[in-house]
Amino acid sequence: MNQTVLVCDDAIFMRTMISDILSQAGFEVVGEAESGLQAVEKYRSLKPDLVTMDIVMPDMGGIEAVREICKNHPEAKILMCSTMGQQALVVEAIQAGAKDFVVKPFQPSRVLEAVQRVLA
Amino acid sequence: MDLSKYAALFLAESREHLNACNGSLLEWERAPTSLEPVDRLFRAIHTIKGMAATMGYAGVAQLAHAAENLLDAIRHNRVSADPAIFQLLFRVVDTLGGAVEAADGTEQAADADLIVELDAAALASQGTRTRAEANPESDDSQALPTSPPIPESKLRRATDAPRSRPVQVVISRGAAMRGARAALVLRRAEAFGAVSGVQPPLAQLERDEFDGRFFFRLQSERPEQEIEATLMAVGEVQSVQFKEPALGGDAGGPRRQIRVDLRRLDALMKQVGELVVAKNRLAALTAEADDAALIELSGRISRLVSSMQAEVLASRMTPVGEVFERFPRLARDLSRELGKQIRFDMEGEEIELDRSILDEIGDPLLHLIRNAADHGIEPPDQRVAAGKSSEGRILLSAARERNTVALRVTDDGRGIDRARILAKAHREGVAADEVDTLTDDLLVRVLARPGFSTAGTISGVSGRGVGVDVAMTRVRALGGTLEVRTELGRGSTFLIRVPLTLAIVRALLAEAGGERYAVPLAYVAETVEFDRRAVTSVRGRETLVVRDQVIPTVHLQDLVSTRKASRSARQPTVILEVGDRRTALVVDALLGQQDIVVEPFDAPRGLPPFIGGATILADGKPALILDAAALL
Repeated sequence: MNQTVLVCDDAIFMRTMISDILSQAGFEVVGEAESGLQAVEKYRSLKPDLVTMDIVMPDMGGIEAVREICKNHPEAKILMCSTMGQQALVVEAIQAGAKDFVVKPFQPSRVLEAVQRVLA
Repeated sequence: MDLSKYAALFLAESREHLNACNGSLLEWERAPTSLEPVDRLFRAIHTIKGMAATMGYAGVAQLAHAAENLLDAIRHNRVSADPAIFQLLFRVVDTLGGAVEAADGTEQAADADLIVELDAAALASQGTRTRAEANPESDDSQALPTSPPIPESKLRRATDAPRSRPVQVVISRGAAMRGARAALVLRRAEAFGAVSGVQPPLAQLERDEFDGRFFFRLQSERPEQEIEATLMAVGEVQSVQFKEPALGGDAGGPRRQIRVDLRRLDALMKQVGELVVAKNRLAALTAEADDAALIELSGRISRLVSSMQAEVLASRMTPVGEVFERFPRLARDLSRELGKQIRFDMEGEEIELDRSILDEIGDPLLHLIRNAADHGIEPPDQRVAAGKSSEGRILLSAARERNTVALRVTDDGRGIDRARILAKAHREGVAADEVDTLTDDLLVRVLARPGFSTAGTISGVSGRGVGVDVAMTRVRALGGTLEVRTELGRGSTFLIRVPLTLAIVRALLAEAGGERYAVPLAYVAETVEFDRRAVTSVRGRETLVVRDQVIPTVHLQDLVSTRKASRSARQPTVILEVGDRRTALVVDALLGQQDIVVEPFDAPRGLPPFIGGATILADGKPALILDAAALL
């Protein structure tokens, strides 16, 4: 069975791109969220193998969402999607429980490497 | 070999190490079981010993050697540190400090008494060890003949907490956000056991201020291969090694550095300053010439000079921590001397200031910290009676605020009694009789009066009246300001605000009475238009209303010119801001911004206080620099 992914980003563009990269690599994108709040809810209902999480989103940011998810599911495998210059936020997300991160602009190979590491 | 040329280097480096020693000792005293400060102390003393021996300073070397012996005994658990040992080591650091300063190659006698004490302390520990070892051993042969000797390593593991092993990690060169990657490694390492002594500190890692190499200690018994494999699996990790960082440098992979005589930097700074003036002048001439090639070249030179100026300024920037370093020790000594319990904290040690300002800022801070300890913090019984914790707190902090650095000395002590100060101010004629409230502004002016003191007795720490006035004079000389906030019973904050750098400042040029004046941009909040209709009068003083804020006005022409200004209905106005005080400086015209070089200025007698210096403008003509604080 394919491994399942929940893609969280407030930009459709980014969600589409990440979904494409992951589906082509054989993952099944089972859900998308455009806010931290949605991310928390969908994680609860979908229990995906992997979550990709944007940092800046409306209605609860990505870091808060990581904290919220890891509170009940410390085993959650969350990959942060960050932008140059967000290093301090990424560190915060890691301390909140995120397992790895990638930096935009994305190179598919880098994203997949990080995904492999998180799922290993 | 001629060693004399190394003497300055020896002195500078020894001072650094001794400063660090004080820090390590304080840290150790707070956590006597922690081994890391002992290691650092040992290494510093050891380095000093080596340098002193090379220089032929036998006295210094002997004392350092004795101290090193004692520290080694402590390091190897042969003796535990107690208050007497800390006191002894503090004395050693002080004595070494004196000896290092005095060492000049002539044979210096070692401090024999101190060495005897050190030897005794080290021997005492050895004595206990010999006894402790000798007895079981003699018993061993009889009572426990069959039990094999326990290997030392196992003994340590059985008795000590899991041993803390050094870990050095290098993040791959091409990795994005190496700091975040390092955080990930640390997070993963925490799964094995406690992580400590991260170097460079996490805050620095977060800002990516490291070369990908970092160090930490991990308390774990797990096999190295397992730890290594797990940390490598974090990804983009180049190597994981279990070894101590290279001695002498930052563990986090030192940037390569060289020592430069400060005078060279000063000379360079002065020349860059002149270059900036020449550049401004060239730009002004080129603008008239109407020659495309010339304009382009001038623009290029302008950019080059600007970046050169930035580099030179950056090379002079030094973290305030270098000056802060000595204060924890000062606070500790003060609290003992005064019989008070004082917790001293520091924040913002990494904030940078121009070296020349930094060198001047130590004394004012020293006075303010002394004042806080002596006058601010109450004795423990008074604090408890007032419902506070018996331990008082002094916080020394640095923060970057716009183009200035704000240094605050905050205490949670008794605060300043305004009524008492006001009464004294009335008696001494500082405040007019009708003044019945003491604003923070007036308060600081009263406190800064030479010889002003409210301390009932002279305590040897402060109370002689030198304190605020000394601080004020030094700070003003740097183009800075001193402010105070105080609340009776709750404590006080003294705020020193200094420019980031001397020498070159960005200034707004204004004209008044036919002359040009430069106003440092650091104190300019905004510029507005003076409109007769927006003028009101508050207590007989002309004020300007700017967005519902009432700001007192100053007409520059009235200050600098003998003839009465003819006032037009609309005039450009510069809103000056120092802290939260504002004043509206009304001028004849604004002439734009310019980098100006502050020229050394011997103020002639009778010069108005609001003239802070002089400069040469782009057209080669001089202009006076206004001191914003004096206009408020």
